This record gives sequence, C-alpha cells and structure tokens, in this order.
Amino acid sequence: MAKLLDKQRYKCALGAMQTVQAITRAVPVLHSGPGCAQKLSDSIGSSGYFSPNIFPCTSINEKDVVFGGAKKLETTIENALKVIDADLYVVLTGCIPEIVGDDTGEVVSRFADADKPVIYASTAGFKGNNYIGHEQIIDALIEQYLEKSEEKEKGLVNIWADVPYQDLFWLGNIKELERLLSEIGLTPNTIFGYNRGIENINKIPKAEFNLLVSPWVSVGNMKKMEKKLGIPYLHYQTLPIGAYETSQFLRKVGEYAGVSEEKVEDVIREHEEYYYYLIERYADLFLENRVINKQFSVVADAQYALGITKFLANDLGLVPAKQFIVDDTPKQYREAIAEEFKKLNFDLQAEVVFETDSYKIHNQIQEHDYHGYPLILGSYYEKELTESLKGNYLNISWPVQDKVVLDDFYVGYTGGIRLIEDIYTVAVQRFN
Amino acid sequence: MSYKIAIASSDGKQIDQTFGQAKSFAIYEVTGDKCSKIDERVFHQEEEQENTMSLQGSSKAEPSCKNGTSKGCGQGKGCSGGNGCGGDVSAKVELISDCRCIVCKKIGFHIQKQLERKAISAFDVTCTVEEALSKISNYFSHIDNHKSLRGQR
Repeated sequence: MAKLLDKQRYKCALGAMQTVQAITRAVPVLHSGPGCAQKLSDSIGSSGYFSPNIFPCTSINEKDVVFGGAKKLETTIENALKVIDADLYVVLTGCIPEIVGDDTGEVVSRFADADKPVIYASTAGFKGNNYIGHEQIIDALIEQYLEKSEEKEKGLVNIWADVPYQDLFWLGNIKELERLLSEIGLTPNTIFGYNRGIENINKIPKAEFNLLVSPWVSVGNMKKMEKKLGIPYLHYQTLPIGAYETSQFLRKVGEYAGVSEEKVEDVIREHEEYYYYLIERYADLFLENRVINKQFSVVADAQYALGITKFLANDLGLVPAKQFIVDDTPKQYREAIAEEFKKLNFDLQAEVVFETDSYKIHNQIQEHDYHGYPLILGSYYEKELTESLKGNYLNISWPVQDKVVLDDFYVGYTGGIRLIEDIYTVAVQRFN
Repeated sequence: MSYKIAIASSDGKQIDQTFGQAKSFAIYEVTGDKCSKIDERVFHQEEEQENTMSLQGSSKAEPSCKNGTSKGCGQGKGCSGGNGCGGDVSAKVELISDCRCIVCKKIGFHIQKQLERKAISAFDVTCTVEEALSKISNYFSHIDNHKSLRGQR
C-alpha cells in the first residue's frame, strides 16, 4: 500500500541551496525544473544580495528530458559567470537531471579554468532531505575546492553547527559559539553568515581542528576533512543551551584545544555568576509551580530536541515526556543519540522517538498524560494541537510561522536565558 | 498504442526549419518500436490567406480552425500583420493537431502555448531526424509503460 508522509518537517536535498545562500557572495546555480527554488524558499530571512527568485536556473523541461540538459547547463553556468558577481558558484542538481542522467560533473569540470570557483553537488530529492543536502554542499567544498595546508594557524578552530535557514537560530547561534570560543582564547572560523565567505572557506585547511556541535549532521564532513585535509575533529553532540551544558562544553573544548584549565574556569565563573544572578531574581516565578507545565515534549530535529531537553531538565528541572526527533536521522546515529537522552541530571531519563510522520507524532502527544497541560516546543504544526490540549506552545523548529528571528539565539549562557524568557513569556500569558 | 510525430525538415535528414519557416511537416507514425513516415503535410500560404487550408496526402485533418470567426486566432492577420503569430500559425497548429509532438529548430512562445492547449509537446532541437525520432520514441515508450527514465543516457 502506498504510504503518505503527513506534514514533513524538512525539504528535499535541493533545499541545501539555502546552505549556499548562507555563504556570503556564494550563488547556487540550479540544474532543475522551473519553480524548484521558489517552492523551496521560505520567508525566513532569505532575501538579500542573492535570493531564491534570482538564482540562475536551467529551468529544464520536457525537451531536456528527451534530448539531455547538459548544453543548457553549460550555457547557464557560462552566463552566470558573466552576469552575476559572486565569489563561489555552486551547481546543484534537482531530481529530473539526476533521473535522466545528465553528467553534471563533466559539465562543471569544463569550468575548472574559470576565474571564479565552480563546484557542484548532486542534491536530487530522492537522495535525501536538506540535512543530507547540507552535508553534500560541504562535501563538495572539501572534495572540489579545498586543498591540504601544511601551514597551520595556532588556535584556529573551524566551527560547524546548525543547518542554515532550516534552523531558525543558525546565525545567532554560530555567532555566539564564536564568541564563546574567542573568550577562552581560541580563534573561531565559520563560513556562514555576515562578514563570512570565501576567505573563511580558504582558511578552513589552516585550522588546528574542527569543532562539530551537532548530534549527527556533518559527522561525515568531519571524517572527510580529517582524511583529505588532515584536520582532526572534536564532536560535541549536544547543542549547549544554558549554564550546565555550556560550561561542560567549554571545558571539553578547552581540554581538547589545550587551553589552560584556569582560563576556562575564569570564563565559566564569570558567565555563571551573571546567569545565576538572573535566575535568582526570577526564582519566585520559576518555583511557583502553577506557572510552568509539569512535563514537556520537544518536536524538532536532533540538534534542538537534544539541546532543549537537556536544558529544560538540567537547568530548569522540568520533567521530560516523550521527545520527538523529526529530521529522519540516519539509522547508524540513532542509538548514540537516544543514549544521550538518558544522561540527564537528577536521574532523569527521556524517551525519544525518531518519527517523521506528524500524524503519528500528534497521536502520541494526545495519548500521553502530561499531568496537566503540556509544554510543547515544536514546529508550527504543533500549534493547533497544543491549543486543543490547552497547553503552552513555542515555535522553535521548522516550519516557522509564529516567530520572527533576525539574529536571536538559544546557544550558550545568554541563549539559555533567551529560551527561558520565551518559554515563560508564553507561560505567564495564561494568567493574564 | 500508436502516435504521430510531426517534423520540420527541408531535406528529411536534418531538423533545420523553424516552426514559422516550415512549408510542410513530415509525419511519422510510431507503433510499438516501429517508426515510419506516413505523410507529408504541406501548408499553403495563399490558401491560408483565403482562410482555408489545404491538406495534401492522405491525412484527413479537420478543416482550419474557426473558419467562421475569420483569420485564425481571431486577431485578423495576427499581431503585426503578414504571417506573424496570427492566423497562419493557428492553421499550422491545426494541421498537426493529431500529432503527439512537433520537432523543429525553433518555436515561438505563443505557438507553444497554442500547442500546449492541445497537449502537443514541442521540441526545439537541432539534430538529425533519426536521432530525434529515436530519442522521442524512447521517451514516450518509457512514459507510456510507466518505466523510469533513470539512467537512460
């Protein structure tokens, strides 16, 4: 019987055009049908110097399916190089050319001598979702652009974290991670967002190590860089939100990078003092047990489901109900991620479900006894459901309709405070 | 299931005529994996001006579209008079209205739209007639038999 996937929470691999868009002055060149870019774009900060509506596209049609679209691709790249002022051109293929077998790699290789770098990634929708597409873009950079560097820059660390645009807070988060690393004396290098771009990509091979903050996305990229560029990596599975996790994070990174313990502890102390000063001031609100919900569920990708569950349990002492990971996590990573959900303070453990079908997720939420009204942190799809359960709801994962985020973030000490503000803003409204 | 393919070629070997230039279309019929030429439909300019259309050969296409409503697509002599996109094109579309697709060197946007309405695919390519026929029949046979086009090249 045919299967339907109800309200999926990701896009096809071609959605990784947004990963390219997040690299300043990099432009995606799409080898796809007309409308793909338009359908895949959403209005969460995707206008700007390049935006999905002006991405060069071969707009292939029936003729190109029958006779091949390679020539059209060649002229599209050729003309994109002429009329679009970019630093990096990334050719992305959609489903149609991949199915009929256009040799995109061969066409792109004809531009090896072009003034600007042209690389390609085969992001056909049937190969995976946009998390996989994101990995493919970084893989393309590693394989087709980056070269091993003998020269290393002391203290330089590449940071890899969220999937741009898919994650609402990608820009703020990456900037906050940079700040935290700077404070313990390291030099962060990231490629996404404001004032980053090709120069930062060029710096990647000079880094002492890669820091990956993500349960599974980009693990493959790190391995590839280790092999090709000789850069070792530190994999930190949990997005550090709030004091408990962020302090652990800084200690782990500091230890790995060989930063003196004293320096790391100084930074931690300073942040924690301010953090707990804020918490103390509002302790009366937090301890008033009628305000906040007894149990919570997070419906998000692995990154946020894990990060927020740990934060709410470890820092706020809330009790986790079932948690839902909706990013279609590849099977080989699931066990390790589920294991992380068992390592909570106060002997708490969270049950985690890997599920992409919203119908099934919503059924499970409805069936669960939250001992009162639930707290649901999820996508816009959970809004109506939570309302029907008279619960508290916060939109933290894709798709986002209920929140505008320019450069807000949930990572680090400050991010934890921001998340508390957001959750309690919702919670106190109940009593107005 | 058989279907017809219209081809605009001056010598029957190379696809070298635009839709507008073409004075005639070679009609090929594809049945199963066999493909053969069954007709050569000639388009008569002078008769078009009298707003009728003559068909040579054996095919019995419908007479020109809307003889009563004057001049093809209803714009008199078409957008800029003469033989632009107006009357003459509509009649030409009618000439091949029983075909599944038309293969020519170039084709204008408005004619493509007219063809689309009749569910006729237009392929504007420069290649040999033989190549076009084999690629198109391969494509349609995959589509008709619900076979994937994966790895066809």
